[in-house]
Amino acid sequence: MSVLQAVLLGLAMGLVFGVALEKSRVFEPGAIVGQMQLRRFIMLKVFLAAVATGLAVIAAMQGLGMTKLFPKATLYGADLVGGLLLGAGIVLAGACPGTVFAQLGAGYRDAWWTLLGGLAGALAFSLLEPTLAPMINAGSPGKLTLSAIWDVPYPLLAAVFAVLIVAGLMALERWRPWREEVGEAGDAMGEAAAPLARGRAPGLAD
Amino acid sequence: MPRISDRAWSPYVAGVLIGLLQVPAFLLMDTALGTSSSYVTLTGHAAALVDPAVAKIGYVAKHLSGAKNWWQVALVAGIALGAALSAWASGTRRGAMSPVWQRAMGIASPAARAPVAVLGGFLIVFGARIADGCTSGHGLSGLAQLAVGSIVAVAAMFAGGIAAAMLLRRA
Repeated sequence: MSVLQAVLLGLAMGLVFGVALEKSRVFEPGAIVGQMQLRRFIMLKVFLAAVATGLAVIAAMQGLGMTKLFPKATLYGADLVGGLLLGAGIVLAGACPGTVFAQLGAGYRDAWWTLLGGLAGALAFSLLEPTLAPMINAGSPGKLTLSAIWDVPYPLLAAVFAVLIVAGLMALERWRPWREEVGEAGDAMGEAAAPLARGRAPGLAD
Repeated sequence: MPRISDRAWSPYVAGVLIGLLQVPAFLLMDTALGTSSSYVTLTGHAAALVDPAVAKIGYVAKHLSGAKNWWQVALVAGIALGAALSAWASGTRRGAMSPVWQRAMGIASPAARAPVAVLGGFLIVFGARIADGCTSGHGLSGLAQLAVGSIVAVAAMFAGGIAAAMLLRRA
């Protein structure tokens, strides 16, 4: 594929991605900070629905021999440390690397500062990468997947996980209806009725 | 039926749409959905203008050119366009910052928000580059491929996020 075709495809896919992020209100800092305080679950709902859909479509494509998989190398230390930094950053930014762009599009002016910080982070990592790479790649067992470890065909295991996620989401939705979480202003700062008032214990529904 | 003029869609409709984007990513681009390496492509080009030696760093060099790198840059640009279109169509354009910052961190002005946003932005991309993926690459795509490293990375993202969020006031 030429670069021009790739750019046009990227723009078209990004357009759909951006509409989905804005309409679901998951790009709102209120959704993201609220999720990390386990107060609102819009982010988990969008995220897990996308993962379950991904499991289903990738399983179908791989099962039919239309594509191979592209799992990333397992880097236990780097996955852990990088993930922790990213997680803490998500709360301060009120965004993930992708949702920063949805915030810019929707008009949040502070997202320009987040973008600036993100570009600085990319530059800092690029300059440090030659030094960090030996530590990041140390002891990697390669591109491990659960289907390889458990010796179960990927499409089958993916289907099982997709069903489990959908079941979990149905329970979550009964516990915390999305309309209440989105709130009147659509800023994802709504309060779902207290779980005790619904006769359920607090905590993750699944 | 969801309409573009609606203020909010079900998170499940949005999630399914995002998950379906794996189809063109896998079949047409031979890759999975991701967003954070686009930052390396953008800064790599900018930094190489100032100091051409930056483009010689192997990690930067492999992010500078080719269809996949520019596809991802276009993807994040498209996210901004899509969100702008969606917010315009439903009359939900946003302003200086979310009210959540006042509530959770007592931040009253955009000037006070700026350093926090810069630090947060730095951490999300620096952290994502250490882990070789963000909430898209590890989260959406890695989990959907049942990759072990992605499961570790996503667990760490939520652990780090929950720990940081619990230090703030009620959002």
